[in-house]
Amino acid sequence: MKGTLNSIWKWGSILLLAYVFLWGFSTPLQPGLVSCSPSQLDLQEETITLSAAGQPFALEGAETSGFTVILRSADQLLRTDVTSVSPHGIEARFDVPDNLPSRALDAFVFTPKAGTLFLGNACFVEDAAKGDIPEEYRATAPDDLHPQLGFSFPFQPNIMESIRNLLLHVPMWFAMFFVMGIGFVASLAQLRTDRVLWDQRAEAAVRTGLVFGLLGLTTGSLWARWTWGAWWVSDPQLNGALVTVLLYSGYLILRAAMGDDDRVGRLSAVYNVFAFVMLVILLMVLPRYTESLHPGKDGNPGFNSYDLDNSLRAVFYPAVIGWGALCYWMYTLRLRMNRLAHALLTQ
Amino acid sequence: MATFNDTIRTAGTIALLEWRLEWRQGHQLAAVGLFAIASVYVAFQAADHHTDSAAWTAMLWLVHLFSGFTAIGRLFDRERSDIRRYLQWTTDPLGLMLGKLFHAVLTTTALTALVLGAFVLFLGWPQGLDLPGKPGLLMLGAWLGGLSMTTTLVFVSAVASQVRDGSGALGAVLGLPLLLPQLILATRLTRGALTDEPWTMLVEYPLFLGALGAGTSAIACILFPYIWRA
Amino acid sequence: MEMMNMILLNSLEGFFFGSGKAHVVTGVALIILGGLAMAMWRMDRKLSRLEEEVRSSGK
Repeated sequence: MKGTLNSIWKWGSILLLAYVFLWGFSTPLQPGLVSCSPSQLDLQEETITLSAAGQPFALEGAETSGFTVILRSADQLLRTDVTSVSPHGIEARFDVPDNLPSRALDAFVFTPKAGTLFLGNACFVEDAAKGDIPEEYRATAPDDLHPQLGFSFPFQPNIMESIRNLLLHVPMWFAMFFVMGIGFVASLAQLRTDRVLWDQRAEAAVRTGLVFGLLGLTTGSLWARWTWGAWWVSDPQLNGALVTVLLYSGYLILRAAMGDDDRVGRLSAVYNVFAFVMLVILLMVLPRYTESLHPGKDGNPGFNSYDLDNSLRAVFYPAVIGWGALCYWMYTLRLRMNRLAHALLTQ
Repeated sequence: MATFNDTIRTAGTIALLEWRLEWRQGHQLAAVGLFAIASVYVAFQAADHHTDSAAWTAMLWLVHLFSGFTAIGRLFDRERSDIRRYLQWTTDPLGLMLGKLFHAVLTTTALTALVLGAFVLFLGWPQGLDLPGKPGLLMLGAWLGGLSMTTTLVFVSAVASQVRDGSGALGAVLGLPLLLPQLILATRLTRGALTDEPWTMLVEYPLFLGALGAGTSAIACILFPYIWRA
Repeated sequence: MEMMNMILLNSLEGFFFGSGKAHVVTGVALIILGGLAMAMWRMDRKLSRLEEEVRSSGK
């Protein structure tokens, strides 16, 4: 009975991850706006072209009816005339008013098939004076357009298809936190009771956690290359992550240096407690109080904007559970290995 | 169980003992000073009068970092020998740790003054600067950065001193990654103080450095008894 | 830039799907996962066997 239950959760984690990979990599991305040209506008009649990814305009051909482009300056809406729709993008013409509440304009494109597309800070009007948009330029937003997109992932301008990395990168760090937490508790218990079992647990936890920490660094680095343009940037969150991984490598080095000294359990437990406190400070406290590019920190859009999307949630939560369970399985394997080695040595 | 007063008295005694031993065995103190001055002189020769504020900051902290290592890395060396066995049965570990930390604070203060003084004497200020924008903040940053560095090092060398062979290299291996956050904050603060960035941009860094120093000291005090009685 | 053009020019499914890369990526990911699962399962079984051995010889 215990054996079956044991194999059920282990294979369950694998099946869950298989589901995550299948859906995570084969769900299409919603269309979205990528850029606006020209991005600097003068106080005259201007024509802008909004380019899109995922071709929300393709099926319509040259038919412009049903499409609406509205620009937003602060909380006021500006009307435009759609002049042409092509597979590459949509063109809109409008008079730039002399007065705007904000020089930055956000673009909304309302389409019959793909719903509402949005591009923040699409274009700028350098010479506009601060003031309200005159009544004759104003627009009202159509509210009866509902997208019929089916199951798809939300579009984020810089992230685009790489949003699938959310299913690897974030759960891997969660798994590391989880297993390092086990190690922390085991080390505290080790200090209290001085029993070798707790030391074995702590060692297994740190070793497994390091694997997931390295995976988290790798996936994070790939993501940084795509969204920020560099493999590594100097950012509080990234520095903290690197230091954490180095710190825990120090734990293994310390153990190796002590060899079969019988104080190894106690000393490495002390080090592990210290390392976990530093992990919490470095990854959860410091990045929140300093400027950071990393999502979820310092006023950046966190995962809230992704999480709100049900399609992503349906894959993200299983990914968290799947990676967590896989990590725990690895931890139990290492723990049993430690126990066996100890049993063979003391026999 | 030692009372609070006992602990404080032990801390005072240990700090005084450390200080007296430092002066009596003058060569160790002199070795740290010599290391610091020689490193500054190497930096001075390498820079050849052309340093911008980034390079200046980098060299200052490299010198400060390794001087700190030489000064603090051997703090628990005495406890390896027979003295350890004596102290182990007679001394309250918390008091011992507090004494060592207090000693580290004094050493760091002296070391910061020495390194910063020698640095300015030899290298002057970065190119294009007659004086740093915020001299007081520069000194405060160097001191706080040094403090949060050395308090961490006290803990690391306490751990490393328990390992039978090869503590010097082990201390460096365990210590360097732990010092990265402090160094990142400290270099950022130093650069800002040199180039006169506005207070609002810089005010968080001394706070973080102070908090990190206090935090690592507190954890070291809590955990040290477990190492000591092992 | 080339990447951007490919993304812009592909059909409704987009570049990732239009080019067929999505299936390759999914396939590779599943193969890696399967390999990992097999390795871990075999190790699990081996450990169980060794545990049994140690238990019986310890008595």
